[in-house]
Amino acid sequence: MDPGAWARLHGALIHFPVALPVFAAGCDTAALGCWSRPTAARLQAAGGYALYLAALGSVPAVVSGLVLTRGDMLGHDALRRHHLLVWPAWTLLIALAVWRALRREEPTRAGHAVGVAFGWLLVALMGGAGHWGGLLAQSFP
Amino acid sequence: MNPCQRFLASALAGGLALGGATLLAHGLQAQARALSHEQPPWTGLPVPPGASPETLRANGRDLFLNSCAHCHGADARGDEGPDLHALDVSDRRIATVIRLGISGEMPSFAKKHSPEEIAALIAYLRTLR
Repeated sequence: MDPGAWARLHGALIHFPVALPVFAAGCDTAALGCWSRPTAARLQAAGGYALYLAALGSVPAVVSGLVLTRGDMLGHDALRRHHLLVWPAWTLLIALAVWRALRREEPTRAGHAVGVAFGWLLVALMGGAGHWGGLLAQSFP
Repeated sequence: MNPCQRFLASALAGGLALGGATLLAHGLQAQARALSHEQPPWTGLPVPPGASPETLRANGRDLFLNSCAHCHGADARGDEGPDLHALDVSDRRIATVIRLGISGEMPSFAKKHSPEEIAALIAYLRTLR
């Protein structure tokens, strides 16, 4: 497969893993805002499932990206900036999804707020990685 | 599972994911190197008739200093671009990168350098050990 095709495949695969953490962080923030209402639990559940789907979807996205760069985990210039944000973002995404999956008891409001903060940190990292990745994609023929 | 154990499990999962990506990256790099060396010798690089290897390398060094040094460093040890010493890729791959560039990283030099000049550049790069 030519590099242009891998670039398009990577671009297509990465959209959900970028968008779903934003949705998850939004749901979790909303849950924080209406903590005492029954809606909060449903919002938390929606945020959790969005995070699981993002973590699952991120695996093919990462694999396609590595194939695209022939295994170069850093690179130079825009690719390096993209990767310097991608790897912490991906590690954090997997860790947050596992944390969420292993959680059995109802979290306290303070505990949930910490999770929300990490969720928005993930969104910031993903957004930066997406920005540099988008610039790279524009330069592909 | 208490929060401490859950934190450790999450950190381990994140680390494993990153470790898995690193292993895959090493495998892909090894495969790319092997494929690069399996390419048949490329006849698309005409060497000027009568040019001795020394002349070719000297021309290559001049071309390198004019075109490549501002990104790769005058000593080719890397600056904005990577270190070019002991390149573990074929002549064909180097010529392709010089001609086509790397998307988002390195411009194309197809219009700036003739095939003879690219041959000289490669001859010079092969001296960098």
